[in-house]
Amino acid sequence: MKFYPLSIITFLFLSFTTVLGAEVNIYSHRQPFLINPFLEKFTQETGIKTNVVYATKGLAQRLKAEGKNSPADVILTVDIGRLYIYDDLDLLASVNSDILDRNIPQNLKSPENKWFALSKRSRIIVTSKERVKEGQITKIEDLAGDQWKGKVCSRPGSHVYNRALMASLILSLGEKAAEDWAKRFVGNLARRPQGNDRAQVKAIFEGQCDISIINNYYFGKLKYSDDPSQREWAKSVRLIFPNQGAEDRGSHVNISGGGVAKYSKNKKEAVALLEFLSKEGSQKMYGEINFEYPVNPNVETTEELKSWGSFKSDRLPIISIAEKAYEAQKIIDKVGW
Amino acid sequence: MFLSILLIGPIFSLILTAFESNQELWGHLVNTVLPIYVLNTLLLFIGVLTLSACLGISTAWLVTYYSFTGKKVIEWALILPLACPAYIIAYVYTDFLEYAGPVQGLIRRIFGFNSAADYYFPEIRSIFGAIFVMGFVLYPYVYILARTGFNNSPRSLYETARLYGRNKFLAVGLPLCRPYIVAGLALVAMEVLSDFGTVEYFSVQTLTLGMFNVWIGMNSISAASQIAIVTFVFIIILLVLEGKARSSQKYNDTSKRLNNVSPKELNSKKALFAICFCLVPISVGFIVPVIILINNVFKGLKLDSFLAIFPVLLNTIFIGITATLIIILLAFFSASNSYFSKNRALVTIYNIAATGYALPGTMLAIGVVIFFGFLDNFTGNLVFLGGTIYGVIFALTVRFYAIPYGGVISGYSRIPSTLFDASKSLGYSTMSTSYKITLPLIRTSIIAAAILTFVDIVKELPMTLILRPFNFETLATYTYQFAHDELMIEASLPAFFIICTGLIPILLVQSHLNSFFYSKN
Repeated sequence: MKFYPLSIITFLFLSFTTVLGAEVNIYSHRQPFLINPFLEKFTQETGIKTNVVYATKGLAQRLKAEGKNSPADVILTVDIGRLYIYDDLDLLASVNSDILDRNIPQNLKSPENKWFALSKRSRIIVTSKERVKEGQITKIEDLAGDQWKGKVCSRPGSHVYNRALMASLILSLGEKAAEDWAKRFVGNLARRPQGNDRAQVKAIFEGQCDISIINNYYFGKLKYSDDPSQREWAKSVRLIFPNQGAEDRGSHVNISGGGVAKYSKNKKEAVALLEFLSKEGSQKMYGEINFEYPVNPNVETTEELKSWGSFKSDRLPIISIAEKAYEAQKIIDKVGW
Repeated sequence: MFLSILLIGPIFSLILTAFESNQELWGHLVNTVLPIYVLNTLLLFIGVLTLSACLGISTAWLVTYYSFTGKKVIEWALILPLACPAYIIAYVYTDFLEYAGPVQGLIRRIFGFNSAADYYFPEIRSIFGAIFVMGFVLYPYVYILARTGFNNSPRSLYETARLYGRNKFLAVGLPLCRPYIVAGLALVAMEVLSDFGTVEYFSVQTLTLGMFNVWIGMNSISAASQIAIVTFVFIIILLVLEGKARSSQKYNDTSKRLNNVSPKELNSKKALFAICFCLVPISVGFIVPVIILINNVFKGLKLDSFLAIFPVLLNTIFIGITATLIIILLAFFSASNSYFSKNRALVTIYNIAATGYALPGTMLAIGVVIFFGFLDNFTGNLVFLGGTIYGVIFALTVRFYAIPYGGVISGYSRIPSTLFDASKSLGYSTMSTSYKITLPLIRTSIIAAAILTFVDIVKELPMTLILRPFNFETLATYTYQFAHDELMIEASLPAFFIICTGLIPILLVQSHLNSFFYSKN
């Protein structure tokens, strides 16, 4: 009986909010403190209120089980693998929007317009400024070289970012060569794979290893960290955008992205949010807040990101990375990355 | 009956998910990573169980049978590590003990070492690190239950042991407290098998970590459920075996006076040793990590972040209290019911329901989500629990029901059955017997269980994360968004609040603790 008043209040609250104004409900794999600045601006511009649930895993299963009654309108994720899983479970709606078509290139969205990339991050090599000479490493393939035995650090291979990188290698080198690379790469590791991308830069700073692979934005987060020691870590490393040779494929990129839930009850608002995120202002914000690259070809990269160097990115359709995730994980398990 | 079926619904849903053939995938797993997963899981399991048993039983024995200065503080301080989520402690100790941390920095400065190659220092991000962290955070489960057990052991038996020149601890204390100690260890075991945060951070390849690789990496929720079910079955087999092993023994005492032990005064040398001994787990599991956290909080202190936490704190306390009350009531009635019931099937259902704790929170959350979907369809969209506070509370009940259930059952096993017979022969129903006889007799067990449950709910992360309504944060989910990105400074303030909230019930009963542990029954 205790809950009686509470449920009435909840009910009244819910019915009021639906009467009062437009809303959009978001299932987000991106942390609230990163997404909130965008949402606040969105509400300011459109008057549409946003509600968020954030979790790293399990939201796709929740959405699936909720079925037609799901309150969710928009899904936001931080890598292609998860977007693909939503699509695979048939949880996303096709969206027809001229704005999205114009702002997001073909290779960065689903063939059926079910999901769209909203920002890009490049997986890059970092090396010790002191212990690795400039030009000694230029490609991901170089990390498997025998001269780097005991010099390489890495995050566990099963992390989505490494799995995606592995998938890109399968696609460009073939399964056999990719596995061979992974085997020799793991053979070069200075320590058991551990920590996140920040921890790899730290390990280089400490001298535990000389080379690692990170997502580019981690460098920015360290460079501008509130913690002075983290700024020191950033100073100790050199960034290398891999595979930039004239004939080469370019640096592997992953995306953050989103889609509209199949049974969304606020489709108009949901599309409006995706469109908002693909527009110039938001695309710039991705760079300013989180050091990510815009997907919109008409938007310039921020000055800060430009200062790290320009690069060409791998032109593979991003969906193929997700399609190869299973094979990638198999190789990762096999070689013990 | 209906309630208990509701409780096993999510577990059942998960089992159904597991019914899908993944032959090719399993072939791959067996040939590559599965042996490592199993080996690591076993090592972790044995290691943490041993460590927490040693710490929990020894300290409980010490404070029950001996008295020394400072004991009053120490006996409740020994519970404190319970308030710390294991994964937060893992973060804290990694910063503290790794190469760049203050400890190794100091060693290098003192001995003039220049690099990691010059000296040996154990790697904290390893299986031993995980055993260390989890052992020191989880031992209070054993401590509390062993403590209650020791206190309720009749003095007469100890006197008998002394007369015969037998070791009091080995001959009486340990065997007599076995149901309690096992209940404590079972909680530790389930916690270990379901832990994800710590093993992920330390990159220890356990079955739970593997489960997520299969699920997220290979897009196979069914194979992940299969792994979850396997660990689940493993723990149930262990519990059943243990139950069988002691089913032939009775633990209740029929002597008229269930008098408490009178602790022996220690001389100052021995007292000092006792204090130091107890201070080890308290410091490692609580004092040191809390000091580091506070230090971090001051590094990043901003008024904004302080203010932002208050609504989150209220949510956490609200969920904690409501869910604890529901769980305790449910556990008391079902445990009473199962103790008296002749209906084997019902008893089995109750016992199965109490194993939800052994499943990793995330997997259980998936079970809950699927189960809600089913209920929703079944009732024609009348009950829509997904994404509501009720949903979260239901999930917490499924998971943490095991804590008070085990406590109440072990409380029952110590009540002489003659009391129930007497009550029955006086014409009281089972219900009023439970209320009038059992409840007062096992009050201590219930209070202890309520504290454990509340603290666990406050720490709970994965289920709340997945099942919560929009814009709803608890301290754990709020901490997670930062901790997930290894933003330790930002995560420290909410993490510190988690610990404080968990401390509330411990401190509340602290003044009553003596009466509580020494209850005359």
